[in-house]
Amino acid sequence: MIHPFLPLAAPLLFVLVALLATLSPGRRPTWLLRTAEGASLAVIAISLASVWQLIVSGPATSEVLGVGVFGLTIRLDTVSATMLAMIAVIGWVVLRYSANYLDGEERQGAFVGWMSATLAAVILFVLSGNLLQLVGAWMGTSLCLHRLLLFYPDRPQAIRGARKKFIVARISDLALVGAAVLLWQGYGTLDLATILAEARVGTAPAGTYAAAGLLALAAVLKSVQFPLHGWLTEVVDTPTPVSALLHAGVVNGGGFLLVRFADVMLLAPGVLAVLVMIGGFSALLGSLAMLGQPAVKNSLAWSTIAQMGFMIMQCGLALFPLALLHIVAHSFYKAHAFLSSGSAVDMVTAVRRPGPIAVPSGRNVASAFALALAIYAAIGTLYGFGDKSPQAIGLGAILVFGVAYLLAQGLADTAPRQLTRQTALYSLLASLAYFGLQRGSEWLTAGTLPATPAPTSLEWTLIALAVFSFGLVAVAQALFPRWAMHPAAAGLRVHLSNGLYANAVFDRLVGNWSTRTHR
Amino acid sequence: MTAQFPSTHFETPALAVALKDAIDHAIRQIPPAWPLASSVAVNPFLGQTGETLAEAGARLRAIGGVQVTMPRAWYRERIARSEIASIDLASALAASPHAGKPDSVEALIAQLQEERPAPQPLPSVAMLAADASGTDWPGIMADRIGMWAASYFDQGQALWPAIPGRSAWAAWRTYATHDLTPEIMGLRDFARIVAEAPQDPRLLIARAVETLGLDEAALPGFFHQMLFSLGGWAQYARYKLWQAELAGSTDAIVSDLLAIRLLWEETLFLQHRDVIADTWAKTRAAHAIGESVSIADIVDEIAQEAAERAAQRGIGATLAQGSVQSGADRPALQAAFCIDVRSEVFRRALESADSAIRTIGFAGFFGLAAEHRGFASDIAERRLPVLLNPSVTSVSGGESEVEHDRATRFTLRAKRAWGRFKVAAVSSFAFVEATGPLYAVKLVRDALGLSGNEAPNGPAPRLSPDLPPEARIRAAETILKAMSLSANFAPVVLIAGHGANVTNNPHASGLHCGACGGYSGEVNARLLASLLNDPEVRTGLAARGIAVPADTVFVAGLHDTTTDTVTLYDGDLGDSRPDALRQVRSWLATAAALARAERALRLPRAAGAHDIAHRARDWSEVRPEWALAGCRAFIAAPRHRTAGLALEGRAFLHDYDWRQDEQNDFAVLELIMTAPVVVASWISLQYYGSTVAPAAFGAGNKLLHNVVGGIGVLEGSGGNMRAGLAWQSVHDGEQLVHEPLRLSVCIEAPAEAMSAILKKHPQVRELFDNRWLHLFAINTEGALAQRYSGDLCWQTEGPVRCASGSPA
Repeated sequence: MIHPFLPLAAPLLFVLVALLATLSPGRRPTWLLRTAEGASLAVIAISLASVWQLIVSGPATSEVLGVGVFGLTIRLDTVSATMLAMIAVIGWVVLRYSANYLDGEERQGAFVGWMSATLAAVILFVLSGNLLQLVGAWMGTSLCLHRLLLFYPDRPQAIRGARKKFIVARISDLALVGAAVLLWQGYGTLDLATILAEARVGTAPAGTYAAAGLLALAAVLKSVQFPLHGWLTEVVDTPTPVSALLHAGVVNGGGFLLVRFADVMLLAPGVLAVLVMIGGFSALLGSLAMLGQPAVKNSLAWSTIAQMGFMIMQCGLALFPLALLHIVAHSFYKAHAFLSSGSAVDMVTAVRRPGPIAVPSGRNVASAFALALAIYAAIGTLYGFGDKSPQAIGLGAILVFGVAYLLAQGLADTAPRQLTRQTALYSLLASLAYFGLQRGSEWLTAGTLPATPAPTSLEWTLIALAVFSFGLVAVAQALFPRWAMHPAAAGLRVHLSNGLYANAVFDRLVGNWSTRTHR
Repeated sequence: MTAQFPSTHFETPALAVALKDAIDHAIRQIPPAWPLASSVAVNPFLGQTGETLAEAGARLRAIGGVQVTMPRAWYRERIARSEIASIDLASALAASPHAGKPDSVEALIAQLQEERPAPQPLPSVAMLAADASGTDWPGIMADRIGMWAASYFDQGQALWPAIPGRSAWAAWRTYATHDLTPEIMGLRDFARIVAEAPQDPRLLIARAVETLGLDEAALPGFFHQMLFSLGGWAQYARYKLWQAELAGSTDAIVSDLLAIRLLWEETLFLQHRDVIADTWAKTRAAHAIGESVSIADIVDEIAQEAAERAAQRGIGATLAQGSVQSGADRPALQAAFCIDVRSEVFRRALESADSAIRTIGFAGFFGLAAEHRGFASDIAERRLPVLLNPSVTSVSGGESEVEHDRATRFTLRAKRAWGRFKVAAVSSFAFVEATGPLYAVKLVRDALGLSGNEAPNGPAPRLSPDLPPEARIRAAETILKAMSLSANFAPVVLIAGHGANVTNNPHASGLHCGACGGYSGEVNARLLASLLNDPEVRTGLAARGIAVPADTVFVAGLHDTTTDTVTLYDGDLGDSRPDALRQVRSWLATAAALARAERALRLPRAAGAHDIAHRARDWSEVRPEWALAGCRAFIAAPRHRTAGLALEGRAFLHDYDWRQDEQNDFAVLELIMTAPVVVASWISLQYYGSTVAPAAFGAGNKLLHNVVGGIGVLEGSGGNMRAGLAWQSVHDGEQLVHEPLRLSVCIEAPAEAMSAILKKHPQVRELFDNRWLHLFAINTEGALAQRYSGDLCWQTEGPVRCASGSPA
């Protein structure tokens, strides 16, 4: 067996790099760059060893490293090990990327330092075994990241975005502190495992509902949900690897928080219902706003808002294993999307190269949806519908609507047969892949994360509402070329691509366009 | 509250000629910006070539706060290090055409000791309104106009495009009548004001002129300022106009943008009139007077010219070491490369591999102005200099590949459908959950740079429709003569286009061949090689006195300027592939290693030749190669003048033998001076502008680039699109790698012949008269014997001689 404190070596290595960076904060810090990459590779090794540790010895919380109950404790279970492994890979990729990308920058050493510090804080956060560490790492992540968002401290766009981010983050800090105090008071301990075990068996001391509400608030603010999402599109005014780290490793902290406290959240079904509504709305608004974004990074930022909304909605539906899968899947995808965003010119050209797009008719779309549902039924039978919760079945239906869009493109009357065959094959593979991944995620987290409870009438309503609204948008999307360029839709496009102006109002309220605000 | 607009009725005919002229003037002041898919260097001072640097500087300072020369410390350091000698200062001072210039070198140096204050533009109404209200109106306006313009110009980034095919004015009015942001920010009733604005943008312009109380004299400068404030958007619109004019029509798009900008200005004026009326009255009076050239502008111009004269002494000294005669033996290999400065390093390396190798410099589209459709592609690629219209059309692949073409298209369309699945509403969630984990693999692969780029290697291109035999023969003859290649053919003649090899780089096309419209040059090279291998063409050429030996084979190639490897397209030759190609390949490999070693010295993080290859595959590399940074000379002469000289990859080399051209009425010289020289001036001045005025003419910081619409980059999340070169492309983090020097054009030809051509082409002459380019005549000894001093006059060591006969 490996030492229970082993995972702690990961954040310590990054802290070490951050400290070394203070010795070499300037241009072309060659040895620091090598050290940082070496450290990040070591962190990957540590994460693999931790996974091995988990397989061999099962989930465990370490002793407290500190004074009495105050100090660091490492909680190693499927959730934290998954997050650790993911962040280790992303940490290595962004540090390696930054080494060449920022070559010649006057403050490259400082950049590497703050990036390492942020990574250390994120890892401490996901490994947290106690409330104190959780809150501290949560705040630390945000404060370190702030330094990276203002890497160029004189850029007005960056300042505007970072100012809003700062406000939102401090409110979420307060919410998390409030939640932590309530949980500590209620359960009489700082230890997460104990709190979760108590909650699992239904112990709900006074203040638990409020604690769940504050956790939800902290999560929603962290994970850029409507209407306080606007800063995310503006903080692309910082070097690309920062965006990759932010989108892949930081904004999903809200989702992780909810997954971590799944047992507590289940004690507050009303809070979960609100999460379904906020998350579902942000998911739909984000994905619609993204459609009209002509700049690649803005489009990616809106995509993150949408994906985070979807993740929050999954949490609200008590589908915690799926939310964890979503966090991991999205992180890898989005980190890659940001780091490769320089290829957007080639991608746009590639879209135009093979000629016109076949536009599906209403009938084509109807058959695509029918076919998609048939695939769903077939796969459902294959993987077994019986033991699935209605929430999971509803969510599966939403995802299948997405596949219908792919099918519809191939089923268009003008599409050649080869195109139809290929899109049908892609659809089948995509469906198999995600139902397989979902099964895998449920299997891996069984025991660690609570099962989805049977829906009450409130949940049934929310499931129906979600399936209906996502279904409606999916149909509209499939028929898109038939209406999107109609003059009547012009206004809708403007309103949606501006995110319904929530960000403009936020700007106005904080005086972001004032020439008199101190910058 | 309702904004009060003048109630006058405007009739279209009533649009004064002055107004139309002012609009046209302002449009011509803006340089075009090509889209990034096929971008080429553009002279940012294209609108000011009729003026001297000092005059352009005064103008640009007033309208945009632009400084057009380096900070004075830059010149002082060079003077202190004696890089700029007193003789340079003295001659630059003597040559200065300005009346108010300092009266001695001492006075000039004394003036240079004074720092210039940061240039202050005349304020716009938006700037005055910002001062008055404390709200950053220029910023809000840039954000809003940028948001709309990005969608309007989008080539396919957004899945939900704006309604296509509408005029900019109509499209913007639709956008702005729905956008609530300006009103949320405090611009009252803006949507309604836009809705009620005239349908005809010219009427709006006239109305705004009246509202703002602008005199006729103020209009040109003010309109220029308005368009300038739109940055890359105005430049991209100017490109649209450029393309329309090239096709013989026109486009109102730039004046539409002017109308949009003026409606903001007018509205802001009406809503802040009470507080800004007085300052505005002063500003518009200043616009009416126009910006005059100050003594400081003149001093800067002279200092800049002195720096250039210092560099010219260096070029002259280098050229003086050149060989006077070329070898007459039949070479084993002739290799034609683009005139691009990057070819110079490789040509020198290749010639050093064996004494039987000769290289030739020629514009990299090799005289074939082809509009090309690639394999399985609908996109018409203009692989030709942007000053020209296509003269031939070509496609990749023969009749036999039609089925393959179709099948490839279907696969590409399926991939495109998958791409839409990835980003569409709702389906994007399914995409992420189904494939997200795969991206872990992609991340690792790309982080390690495991996926390399293949050299472009589609099926051989062919002219479609093919030219009739007579036209093919004529084209072959013209091109060979223009290359000064009409005798003594080697057994193998390599026609090498060039292209860069980079990953994840939005400015990749800027690293490709400018003469091929920002594409890599292999298509044109392959077309020319196949033309010259055509037996019918060979026979026809012989009849016209160009005897190509039967054993001579033309083979196309592509010089990868990032890694210096050369791909040969010998597959195009079929069975006639000569054995000698094995030897050619080995020479090319030797040359590549030498060229890489030389280039590694200049590149950061490259310890030697072996560090070069990885740069092409590294997705985080912002300086894969230096491209044309450092360019400072254009030399048109026989190769023996420059062979073996250490020109450091800083010279465009065009082969030219005036004795052959003399019987031809200097037709080739005319071509060189009106096409490659102009293109080289665009490149040189793009580097110049992006170096001296990066905020105005550069693309900003690569680390913040955000590709917009598939056509350009934003720096950060919004605002103006940025054209020009990124700071990383001219600076290595510690120092400039591009010395901002205007190009010195050195041609071995009689000065009278050059004067005659300049006389015939006033726009080219303007470039030389106003010193956007320097011109030298190389004499028979290879010395820079005469300098063009403007007004068709030449200066030698002795007295000035003029074409008109009168001394200057």
